[in-house]
Amino acid sequence: MFEKTLIPVAYGERPEEVRKAGTILKTLGANSVCLYHVNEPGSFFRGADLSWLTLLSEALEETGLVVEVKTGEGHIASAIAETALLEGVDGIYMKAKRRWHIETMLLGSVSRDLLRLADVPVFVHKVRPRLPDDGADPAQSDLNVLYATDLDEASARTLPYVMEFAGAWCHVLHVRGRMADPLAERVRREAVERELGTVAEELRPYFGRVTVEQQIGDPAAQVLYVSDQIEADVVVLGRKSAAFLSAPMGYTAERIVTGSRASIFLVPQPGRRNAS
Amino acid sequence: MLREYLRREGVFLLSAGIILFFIGFGVARPDLLDSASSAVHAAILDNFSWLYLISVFFFLAFALGLALSRYGTIKLGYDAERPQYGFFGWIAMLFAAGMGIGLLFWGVSEPLVHFLQPPPFIDAASPDAASFAMRYAFFHWGIHPWAIYTIVSLSIAYFSFRRGMPALISSCFYPVLGERIYGAAGKTVDVLAVFATVFGTATSLGFGALQIHSGLTHLYGLSSAISVTIGIILIATALFMASAIIGVEKGVQVLSKFNIVLATVLLFLVLALGSPPYVLNVFASTLGGYINNIIDLSLQSYPFAGFEWSRDWTVFYWAWWISWSPFVGLFIARISRGRTIREFVLTVLTVPTLFTFVWFTIFGGSALHLELEEGAGIAAVAGEDVSLALFAFLEHYPFAGILSLAAILLLIVFFITSADSATVVLGSLTSGGGLVVPNYKKVVWGLSLSAVAIVLLLTGGLDALQVMAITAAFPFMLVMIGLCYTLAIGLSQEKVQ
Repeated sequence: MFEKTLIPVAYGERPEEVRKAGTILKTLGANSVCLYHVNEPGSFFRGADLSWLTLLSEALEETGLVVEVKTGEGHIASAIAETALLEGVDGIYMKAKRRWHIETMLLGSVSRDLLRLADVPVFVHKVRPRLPDDGADPAQSDLNVLYATDLDEASARTLPYVMEFAGAWCHVLHVRGRMADPLAERVRREAVERELGTVAEELRPYFGRVTVEQQIGDPAAQVLYVSDQIEADVVVLGRKSAAFLSAPMGYTAERIVTGSRASIFLVPQPGRRNAS
Repeated sequence: MLREYLRREGVFLLSAGIILFFIGFGVARPDLLDSASSAVHAAILDNFSWLYLISVFFFLAFALGLALSRYGTIKLGYDAERPQYGFFGWIAMLFAAGMGIGLLFWGVSEPLVHFLQPPPFIDAASPDAASFAMRYAFFHWGIHPWAIYTIVSLSIAYFSFRRGMPALISSCFYPVLGERIYGAAGKTVDVLAVFATVFGTATSLGFGALQIHSGLTHLYGLSSAISVTIGIILIATALFMASAIIGVEKGVQVLSKFNIVLATVLLFLVLALGSPPYVLNVFASTLGGYINNIIDLSLQSYPFAGFEWSRDWTVFYWAWWISWSPFVGLFIARISRGRTIREFVLTVLTVPTLFTFVWFTIFGGSALHLELEEGAGIAAVAGEDVSLALFAFLEHYPFAGILSLAAILLLIVFFITSADSATVVLGSLTSGGGLVVPNYKKVVWGLSLSAVAIVLLLTGGLDALQVMAITAAFPFMLVMIGLCYTLAIGLSQEKVQ
């Protein structure tokens, strides 16, 4: 899943932070990493010395990963998404920084754009799972995974990624709207239960424990609520195109990424090529 | 046992309790009731006039949007179901729903009052004021009231006929409330519907009683004391309660049909005995002005000059229609089973509206003709007492006595049929949406309607009627916005080509 991972880095990134990221990625099965820096046109740091990149690369290599350094130019999120595609990486890793309070409330515009544009899965590392120096020793087998599924065709693409997390507990959550009458609601609930049961059966060989749940309400709010309830380490979800009306509020995945304490693994919609 | 009864009859007990408290309060402290309701009314008008305008315009846009969208082909019933009534029978019943005391009360007086007391930017009693008066009469009685009824009736019809739920307003909220429609939240919605219906209908009954009294005074020199108006209400109450309790449904139907025929005869007599070419010119030019300005009219509150006018008229009307909407909505829903949404919306929005336009043109246009061309002085009468305008107008026609008597007869029959239907609808709304309503509920609601009308007339007359219609409609307007949302959710779950 993370065999080859792209880590976008910016000037000022600290080597010890990158090293922690490397440890986590190694835990999740990464072999090689592409450190990628984008020179934004007109940036103050454009043309500056890039020796800091070498330092980051060395820090990552200490974790046993094969590291490759690349730089690009242009609109940052588009360049990252495009490079991820061209380099054939399995995913993009982003650490949600908590240095500034504003970043805990709103994702930076680059991160938001990247979540929309990336054609490969994006892993946004939040508070959980904890890093080694936070007093925890991350192990994949200890992971609590929340799999938020729409039970539609797009979700089928997400399922293999969930299997690869293969942790201690996978909680499968489906959030939907209520049907317009009690009979239709009962029929829908039973159908969803059956579908969730099938998904659970598929996941059972990979996790110590698999549970299912369906909720009615706002998908982002419910995913965040359940994620906190079960103290999920990772929330896996598929990305869908934003509905026109939801654009001002941000689409579901963005709202989950912004509000979640668990890390998010976002799988793009199949058949869509944004960066290209 | 008691717990089960309270749960089952929660809506009835709560709404009847509130209405009885209101009546008791009005009898014991009419001054306090007047000041309290005036304060609430002023607060609503000062702060939310704009919301009435925007909401009603939205209801119209929403209804038209549904009719013209792919959801227009969805049936109000199961897919294979055929309409319960034939097209012409259905249209006749829509006419019956659309016609009532209001048309008689305001048909002459509204254009004349606008003509005499337009907003400050128009010269009173001028040709411009006449044109303005007719356009606003069309606007207040045109497509917008029917859009309000459409939202309620469409929601009830969709959720009860297609989704198999009880014919209650609360049923329409299942997509957002779920099982809570059977709890406090759902009961609150139904209580608000009952509350709006009681005050909306009582307002109309009050208008009707005032006008019957004015007509009798005009014809027979009856005393103009309020006690006579109360006496008229009491007699009419005895008649409609007897009809509701005995269940003379057929009799009421016969009366309704008789009234439609009588109203139509009166309409054409007034046209034929007046000045048909003038009136038909008024119709064409007002219709043109109405269509041309409909968006401006819909959202215009004249905030820079004439805000008071807009509040007193447009907002009052919107509130009155909203307070009538559970009653009329339920009736229209019941007769529309098996129609498609497109057929339902387009017919309900156009057919009764056209009839109302014709009515206002003939009565209002003829009155303006008499006023402008012959200096009849009816506008001054309407300015003094709106309930007298119709009879002052008929004075200028041959057989004035017979025409006035026919108008009074129409008013009495409308009073009885409206109150009878409202009693049954209120009983149904407080009996879980069932068609079989226990007699004690009919008695409670029949007496409540009349008692509320009497209390309002005693506390402040016509103004008090208008105040309570606006106040009672406000919460239900919010319910209606919710109805649009839940209807959209329900329809979005339909599989349509």
